[in-house]
Amino acid sequence: MTDAFRADVAPLAPPGVRSPLLLRGGRVIDPASGLDATADVLVVDGRIAAVAPRRLDAPPGTSILDLEGSIVAPGLIDIHVHFREPGQEHKEDLASGGAAALAGGFTSVCCMPNTRPALDTPQLVEFIRLKGAALRQCRVHPVGAATIGRTGETLAPIGAMAAAGAVAFSDDGDGIASAGMMLKVLHTCRAVGRPFMQHCQDASLTPGGVMNAGPLAVRLGLAGWPRLAEEIMIERDLRLNRDVGAAYHAQHLSSGGSVELIRAARARGEPVSAEVAPHHLLLTEEACATYDTNAKMNPPLRSAQDIALLKQGIADGTITVLATDHAPHAVDEKGLDFNAAPFGIIGLEGAVPLYAKALVADGVIDWPRLIALMTIKPARLVGLDRAGYGALRVGGPADITAIDPTERWTIDAAAFRSRSRNAPFDGWAVEARPIVTIVDGELRMLHDPDGLRLKPGA
Amino acid sequence: MKTSRSGTVDHPPREHRTSAPDAPPRAPKRDLLDLAGMDPAEITALLDAAARHAAAATGDDPPPLAGRVVANLFFEDSTRTRCSFSIAAQRLGAAVVDLFEEGSSIRKGETLADTARSIEAMGVDAIVVRHAASGAAHLLARAVACGVINAGDGRHAHPTQALLDLLALRERLGAISGRRVAIVGDIGNSRVARSAVHGLVAMGAEVILIGPPTLVPRSFESLVDRPGGRPGAVGVAHALDPELPTLDAIMMLRVQLERQAGSAISNDFHQLYGLTAERMRKLPGHAIVMHPGPINRGVEIDSEAADHPGRSVILRQVALGVAVRMAVLEWALRDA
Repeated sequence: MTDAFRADVAPLAPPGVRSPLLLRGGRVIDPASGLDATADVLVVDGRIAAVAPRRLDAPPGTSILDLEGSIVAPGLIDIHVHFREPGQEHKEDLASGGAAALAGGFTSVCCMPNTRPALDTPQLVEFIRLKGAALRQCRVHPVGAATIGRTGETLAPIGAMAAAGAVAFSDDGDGIASAGMMLKVLHTCRAVGRPFMQHCQDASLTPGGVMNAGPLAVRLGLAGWPRLAEEIMIERDLRLNRDVGAAYHAQHLSSGGSVELIRAARARGEPVSAEVAPHHLLLTEEACATYDTNAKMNPPLRSAQDIALLKQGIADGTITVLATDHAPHAVDEKGLDFNAAPFGIIGLEGAVPLYAKALVADGVIDWPRLIALMTIKPARLVGLDRAGYGALRVGGPADITAIDPTERWTIDAAAFRSRSRNAPFDGWAVEARPIVTIVDGELRMLHDPDGLRLKPGA
Repeated sequence: MKTSRSGTVDHPPREHRTSAPDAPPRAPKRDLLDLAGMDPAEITALLDAAARHAAAATGDDPPPLAGRVVANLFFEDSTRTRCSFSIAAQRLGAAVVDLFEEGSSIRKGETLADTARSIEAMGVDAIVVRHAASGAAHLLARAVACGVINAGDGRHAHPTQALLDLLALRERLGAISGRRVAIVGDIGNSRVARSAVHGLVAMGAEVILIGPPTLVPRSFESLVDRPGGRPGAVGVAHALDPELPTLDAIMMLRVQLERQAGSAISNDFHQLYGLTAERMRKLPGHAIVMHPGPINRGVEIDSEAADHPGRSVILRQVALGVAVRMAVLEWALRDA
């Protein structure tokens, strides 16, 4: 590590707190093994040394975290973030994005390749991987572009990027328009054993589209982005993939109709998965009615009916991953008019309470299932489970997140670690908060305002 | 700042940082952004005031807006709307500055809100704004403490155009309530059509929107969702000829031929929807012909219709535009 790669943000945890760490008395939820019990977790040398339903003795020098009443889970994994580096560091970079991830309880993220330039060479993939590792915040797993420059015209060096550490491929930000190119990408991803993640949007159906198509868009005089444009691309891709069998992942579902398409494909046994983002479960197109650019998303916010169908898809296992689509933009960019402002909002630092609000408080799923959708399920999709991420296994890497499921707090965008502030959830009163993030056995985030949780080792 | 569904927004007086100490006392901020949600009494009051201005041979003495400054901030050129606002402001005694931002200030790295705030800082009392982006007037109104009048934002709204349309209708047909008015052309891309629909329905008219399905989406039928609104007040039709005998007024929109390439406008528009002399004869005797201008002769409207002495009110619309803008500026700027 060189100093040039250090984060320029304040540390989130007392410096120097390394293993051994004893996480005492939490509700340990490990969906991979089915564990859900009060237990102690001991971390030594970056590894999980013990998970025991009894009171473990702390070896000398152990720091003790009192986590009674909190959930202790595998480190959260977000397979869909935009860290903007290289090229748009005024919005975010690997350091600020990594800090935001830790604050939100995430120990691993997959960063999308729509940087400037796009991540379409093994050198760029390696740059992200090495710099992310050197920063020692969350683990950063690059997603490579599927086509050169993300233009959909020429196949990118997918094999070389996979070898350099790309965990998946995507032209996120744009769907791959040509069916012929899509087929080439699917074949190539299948050959290298990496999933393909589609941004599902047939752009010929969304010219100028900035919000859900329908009466509200008509009233506001804004061009519509219809559900059809998402669904038709999924239908096409599923048909293409039936002859290929690649791991096909539909990003940020917004339309209820898309859920049914994915559900049917999974019922046929096809290797198909899908994710959602918090805003598509908590906001509708009505948020656009005042031309608030923090309601401008791609795909757009839709209706209460879509939210109900997405939740149904989460409840029945059709939607396998809870992501954030963390998309930072500068204040002056989001200050443009609704047509000119960029799409997207930041998501990492509010993800846990927002998903708890949308899914647990609403009775859609319980905490163990929510944690599965944020740990082992995304880990399996991008192959991180092979390195032991997404689970609490004795001998495995100590990536651990603790969540206080009852803490009531107010989301304050001004206090975010992210470099950007574009969050429609600013000011929302929420419940549940990540309080501890441990990566590689190192306590990298601790929310302990009263100083009651941590007893540092001698 | 309070914002509401209503297009007009009343704000409490705010401290104005940049006014000189001897400047006239600042009026409460009033914006006219949209006719959606405006109630018939408000609209009627503006039309009555405009009618008085239209009838008056000379301006009031002393001029009601003496000492005020109105800025025309146009990001999209529109000679006639800008002139209309300028003449209206000058007839009320206000000084007018014209700011035409070539293309868009975004290109210079300045946001719309920055531009508006810097113009406000020069000490203007109201900003009249025209912009190619829907919602630009709302954005600007949130950014400044002075009143904002929307002179057209993207495809969203053009409230003073709708008011002058209503005034022209009222002048020729008497009551607007119960009348059946067709708007013909590229409805989907038209702010004129949207604002006209809101105004006409508020005043009790029935509106039929006519054009090819690619230009007139069905969702326009639910454009006006005012509480207590009559279902069916807005209809959509894709054939013009059967509607002609039922109309009290027909408003032809300018067809944006430059939008034809790669888009929804096909070259049979005139054959199917153009207002020809023959079609005009199928209108009831009292029905009038309207157009927001500028007209494309031989495209959406033939000269026989555009210049028909008995039916065409196109030039009267232009004249009433000044009176309507006087009423709006006075409403926005006169001390409450």
